[in-house]
Amino acid sequence: MSSLKTLYSHAAGIAVAFGLGASLSGSAQAADLGAVDEPIRLAMVEWTGARITTEIAGNVLERMGYEVEYVTAGNYPQFTALADGSLHATLEVWTNNAGELYPKLKEAGKIVDIGPLGLETREGWMYPVHMKSICPGLPDWKALKDCANQLATAETFPNGRILSYPADWGTRSVDMIKGLDIPFEALPAGSEGALVAELKAAVQTEKPLVMMFWAPHWVLAEVDVEWVDLPKYEPACTEDPSWGPNPNAVNDCGVSPPLVNKAAWTGFEKKWPAAWEFLKNFQMDAKEQEKLMLRIDQQGEDLEAATTAWVEENKAVWEPWVKAAM
Amino acid sequence: MAAVEIAGYKGRTFIAADAVRWGAVFGFAALCFIAGDKHPWLAAYPDSWVVPVADWVNHGMDWFVERFRDGFKMLSALLGMPMHLLQRLLQWLPWPAVLGVFAIVSHRAGGWRLAAFTTGALLYTLLVGYWSEAMNTLALVGVSVPLSVALGFGLGLMGFRWPRFERPLQGMLDLMQTVPAFAYLIPILLLFGFGPVVGLVASIIYAAPPMVKNTMLGLRSVPEELVESGLMSGCSKRQLFWNVEFPAALRQIMVGVNQTTMAALSMVIIAAIIGGFNDIGWEVLMTMRKAQFGQSLLSGLVIVLLAMILDRISWGLAFQDSGPSSRSRRRRYGYPAAALAAVLLSLGIVALIPEIRTAPETWITSPADLLNDWVNFVLREYAAVIEGIKNAVLFYGMMPFRIGLSQSITPFTWGIEMSAEVVAVYLALVGAAAVWCYRRFGWRGIVPVAIFGAVLFYGTTGIPWPAFMAVIALLAFEAGGLSVMALALASMAFILITGLWNEAMLSVYLSGLAVLICCVVGGALGIWAAHSDRVSSILRPINDALQTMPQFALLIPVLMFFQVGELTALIAILIYAIVPAIRYTEHGLRTVPSHVVEAARQVGCTRRQMLWEVKLPLAMPVIMLGLNQTIMYALAMLVIAALVGTRDLGQAIYIALGKADAGMGFVAGLSVALVAIVADRIIQAWSRKRRAALGLAAS
Repeated sequence: MSSLKTLYSHAAGIAVAFGLGASLSGSAQAADLGAVDEPIRLAMVEWTGARITTEIAGNVLERMGYEVEYVTAGNYPQFTALADGSLHATLEVWTNNAGELYPKLKEAGKIVDIGPLGLETREGWMYPVHMKSICPGLPDWKALKDCANQLATAETFPNGRILSYPADWGTRSVDMIKGLDIPFEALPAGSEGALVAELKAAVQTEKPLVMMFWAPHWVLAEVDVEWVDLPKYEPACTEDPSWGPNPNAVNDCGVSPPLVNKAAWTGFEKKWPAAWEFLKNFQMDAKEQEKLMLRIDQQGEDLEAATTAWVEENKAVWEPWVKAAM
Repeated sequence: MAAVEIAGYKGRTFIAADAVRWGAVFGFAALCFIAGDKHPWLAAYPDSWVVPVADWVNHGMDWFVERFRDGFKMLSALLGMPMHLLQRLLQWLPWPAVLGVFAIVSHRAGGWRLAAFTTGALLYTLLVGYWSEAMNTLALVGVSVPLSVALGFGLGLMGFRWPRFERPLQGMLDLMQTVPAFAYLIPILLLFGFGPVVGLVASIIYAAPPMVKNTMLGLRSVPEELVESGLMSGCSKRQLFWNVEFPAALRQIMVGVNQTTMAALSMVIIAAIIGGFNDIGWEVLMTMRKAQFGQSLLSGLVIVLLAMILDRISWGLAFQDSGPSSRSRRRRYGYPAAALAAVLLSLGIVALIPEIRTAPETWITSPADLLNDWVNFVLREYAAVIEGIKNAVLFYGMMPFRIGLSQSITPFTWGIEMSAEVVAVYLALVGAAAVWCYRRFGWRGIVPVAIFGAVLFYGTTGIPWPAFMAVIALLAFEAGGLSVMALALASMAFILITGLWNEAMLSVYLSGLAVLICCVVGGALGIWAAHSDRVSSILRPINDALQTMPQFALLIPVLMFFQVGELTALIAILIYAIVPAIRYTEHGLRTVPSHVVEAARQVGCTRRQMLWEVKLPLAMPVIMLGLNQTIMYALAMLVIAALVGTRDLGQAIYIALGKADAGMGFVAGLSVALVAIVADRIIQAWSRKRRAALGLAAS
């Protein structure tokens, strides 16, 4: 039903774009700018990657003639704000860690997806490079079987310890340990800060550590890590026990790369048709984002200055998106 | 010890009944342990018996939100208005103007010293580049504190005027203070809508209770004679209140204002989690997410300094000595005029040099990086020592309490197998302790030995729930009679049937251990501080900082040293909950009447006797209040401890937050509150009983 609704609103949007756009600029595909005097409020969430994405999109929107306001918002609470229109768009929704408010509100038709951001992501178990001398068989996941002892701690003994996502992000590591049938226990980290702190400390002390993590992430620019080679994810892995190395269990594979979406307030398309078209086209390249993260988080460059410079230098990247929208 | 003997002597005829009760409970507990193997429902409450309270709450919540949302949205707009106005004003004023006004107000409140402190603190804020964020925080606190104070004062007055209102009020206040804010963030978010108003409402809920309590306490302790003389001089009811009772109670009420200010500032981080407001809490949150210790400490320090400024100013303004009339004229007209001049002057300067208007964005990274380097240095150089400490504490201290010696003694941990011989040795040790306690304290001495012996062997999480409930129920009964027992049973039943028993046991284990350590270490530090002004003056600012510094900032190095896990969680709770233990012990000892101390000295008390036989017993009421606060703080910290990876009630609240499951959050939050309230009631009742036995007047 919700998809029907989106389809309908799409059709309406295109119709509007058609009629008004044609009379203004003569271009068949162009959309009207809409309410340029009212600011578009973009959610500014707390991690650097998303802040870069948001600043770049906002910067281009401003060049298109819009007024943009950046509003700080928590990752979970932002969706209630999108639902009631106090925020208008958020540009980096990691669907693996968006809480349950996001799917709920999307299903209820209170927020709409603008489509994937195109960010190439990765998620899985990783380890700092010094682990290779502790557990020589790495990166092959089978090596973990023999390294449980080296990774055992007081809390997990006799099992090895895998540092996992905070408990409120789901239980993927637990499922994988069960599926792969390795003598490990997943310890929830509690927060992103805790994950990062432990990674930094392990690098300093060369202590053993295997942890669940994702990319792109700024800390990966600071420390050298490698990813555990896990059987490549396929949908069959989570449904069919006979699939994969363990014939008796599901989840005996790595994680599918998380999808990163853009989402908006339901009234967005009608109010700012051209901005909507642009945001639909807007994509973020993981490599570019990582480069900017390094400059901002490690070299202390100002977020706004760095992204403005990027927009200036990469006209070839974003101008087609704007052209297609206006 | 003396008290026990006296009580034992007086209650000789009841000893039999008491002993039978304990015997029955221990017998029942033993039965649960034995039968637990055959009947797994005894060991762990079955999932299929869980009553879906959370679902009911969610249904009720949906209905409520649907029906009243518009009303709350209006209220939200109403609350947001003064905040946004204040925010605009503070952002519009150039920083020299704000700084000038604050310095002048500080001078009015506390002279040159306070003015210098305020100026220094605000300059620091400016230099680290958080000026505009700090102004947003001030706007939030500037609205939440007056609202909390007004609300708290009104409720306190109601409790004072209508004693019947007091009991339900007390219960409500306990809930407001102990249900973690994270548990009700989702409902507030759904009702009030996204934005800083959510943080405002949360901080009012959390910050108002101390105001209510102190208002009631202050008004109630106005001397009878004062009220009577007021009545005799023909005061009307209103005059009596504003001219007699209120001024007399002002000191205590100001303690409430102070505590409310501190509480409101400690909620700044919560407000930031929602967002919508680029305040200092948001900055701290971002640095915490990056695990940048130095940076988060520097930005957290801004919150600490703001708290100190507001606290010292409100305290100073309330207790000015009114000087001679010439000075008071200066006070009446001079200060506002100076403030106005400061604003106009800065506006003038800004008109001439517009660059000054925007606060500098510079960020002093060198001290932050220095701190980070220092942490890394310690980490590298002392890795082996740190690892040794961690393992020792875990193996010999924490794990026995959690899973019991029966499971924590392994070749990996203790280097020995848990064999029949080891069990025999343990039983012999417990038996010997029991015999010793019996000789010394009578049969009652066996009770704590038996309880400790069982907990240490099976662990907090290994005790069958009926056994745990029976022991706590009897403890509650012994301490406070049927009413406390009923409360304890009802609370435990709620936690049990909502399916949170295991999480609650982990919480009891973690916070119980923390409270124990706080009592010993905090008590010792408090005693030391009470006897040395120098120690006291060193500890005071540290305590202030520990209370208002966003806790996670301090946890980053702890995490790096000890990794994710229960030791880090324990330290997290310790550094926060130790503050009231220190403060109240010191305060209690320092306020022991000097004539008593003098008399004791003349009788020839040794220093040791003076402390243990004279000062500590007399300071007990205050120390007990400190224990109450330590328990409350320890349980409040469970939610923060969840950020370093726990599996207890605090974590359940986070999971509920992620799932936007208001019902689950409510149930878990209420469970935390119930644990706190039950522990508090039992201990308070027990201390009342003991004080009565010691012949001290109950206060």
